[in-house]
Amino acid sequence: MSSQSKDKQGPPPSLYLPLEEKLYRVRYEIDSDHAHIRVDPEVCGQCREKVCTFICPARVYTQDPEDSNLVQVHYENCLECGTCRVACTRGGVIWSYPNGGQGVKYRFG
Amino acid sequence: MEDGRVKTDVIVVGGGPAGLMAAHRLAQEGLEVILMERGAYAGSKNVSGLLYATVLSEAIPDFEQRAPLERPVTRRSFGFLDDEVFSYLTFGSRDWASPPFNRTWVVYRAHFDRWLAKEVEEAGATVLEETVVDDLLYDGEGENRRVIGVRIRGEEEPFFADTVILAEGALGIVTRKALETLGGMSQTPQVYGIGVKEIWGLPSGVIEDRFHLESGQGAALEWIGSPFKGLVGGGFLYTGKESLALGFIAKVDSLIAAGIAPYDLMESIKAHPEIGRYLAGGELLEYSAHILPEGGLRALPKLSHHGLLIVGDAAGFVNASFYHEGANLAMASGRMAAEAVIQAKLIGDFSRGALSLYERMLSNSFVMEDLRHFRRVPEAQKVFPRLMDVLPARFCRLLVDLYQQSTEPKRVQQREAFRKMMEGIPKLRTIKDLWKLKGMIG
Repeated sequence: MSSQSKDKQGPPPSLYLPLEEKLYRVRYEIDSDHAHIRVDPEVCGQCREKVCTFICPARVYTQDPEDSNLVQVHYENCLECGTCRVACTRGGVIWSYPNGGQGVKYRFG
Repeated sequence: MEDGRVKTDVIVVGGGPAGLMAAHRLAQEGLEVILMERGAYAGSKNVSGLLYATVLSEAIPDFEQRAPLERPVTRRSFGFLDDEVFSYLTFGSRDWASPPFNRTWVVYRAHFDRWLAKEVEEAGATVLEETVVDDLLYDGEGENRRVIGVRIRGEEEPFFADTVILAEGALGIVTRKALETLGGMSQTPQVYGIGVKEIWGLPSGVIEDRFHLESGQGAALEWIGSPFKGLVGGGFLYTGKESLALGFIAKVDSLIAAGIAPYDLMESIKAHPEIGRYLAGGELLEYSAHILPEGGLRALPKLSHHGLLIVGDAAGFVNASFYHEGANLAMASGRMAAEAVIQAKLIGDFSRGALSLYERMLSNSFVMEDLRHFRRVPEAQKVFPRLMDVLPARFCRLLVDLYQQSTEPKRVQQREAFRKMMEGIPKLRTIKDLWKLKGMIG
């Protein structure tokens, strides 16, 4: 899955940043009362590819450690980019806009 | 306001370039406009590439003095990268380094859109931030169904308007619902690219040294080749005042097919010395991502309906050729939608027939002219995986081989270099592929 393993050289240490470090530089207003993303466990249970677990640039979707057929959603990291909605063609991602003023809040954009 | 209902001339859904330009024009003409933006401020959800500002300069002629712009693009480069070898085509003009700077700017949308929203307010429109439109409000049935307002999250009462302009961007959740209700979905489904970007802080002087720039000037670099792993896509680097914006755009489908995660690709392109060198010593300021519609002409939905117009990325106005132009088309569509509404207001008719002036104006403008000219981009993109893994590499290798020093006679060296370039390339298919690739340049 990871493209990095195929590279001859790794990025210089000062440039390399794991995703957690990248997301740390993004400003969010986290709405703890309202998860704007849900997944349909019926759909995920039938889905083998689980494209959402690698195509999301913020890794919002991860395999459920308890049940590898299911998907966990870390909606608080969502960049609201729309990729999951395009990638999940089975309709398993139920995505609505976060509440007004909540969610990602780019300082540069 | 009548019988207690909140009613305005126009509601604009979304505070990006398309919606802001529409609201600006309408407010200038004295129409009552409310623009609804779901973010804390206009631009807070938006991710930019370059801004081609020809339409903006018509709307706000002195924007260069007032808008938060990073740098004008005075030098451009196309780079072909392979793991070991590289080549660049760099060009520019002295004209580009003085006003109006070829109307090509590096901007950060969280700054730029927020400024534009202030201009829109000053022109007389109302900008409601933190306001989520979840759905449109309809009246009538079948062919006569018309849009009469919007439903706002958390508000019991809807907002009414003679016309709604949908400018909600590439995510298009409300737009999709509207097209399902009113009909007019495109025959060819929309296809999307994903843009992923990092902004790195660096001192202004370092940036100017590194990119051979005079004070205040800017550079745009674009790359194709091996770092992009045969995906339908490429990389870009734009210079801000004290920052660099490095990123890539790739077709979502091609990333899925290759099983590549966007953040892994981001890291591996920085590992290429020809890319990573520009960031050295910098500090990551922000990471961002957004989809963009790349289906072009054939993926456009019906744009005018009773009481409704669709503009910008919500409509699919992106020129996905090598020019990669979106915001300028969005601004043009917003302005033309506004013109149509202004005419509709004069005759008091907001039906599809009256509002379709928008489509006629678009059709006679560079927006549709360009989308028609580049209608073959989706087919051209299909040959990317076959060509982009090979051609940039072979081209770089040819140049390097021609200049490789040896005691061989040049005649032999040249013959060998050209032989190596063509080696293993299926000629007929490559000629066909190149013909399709021509769609990218028109």
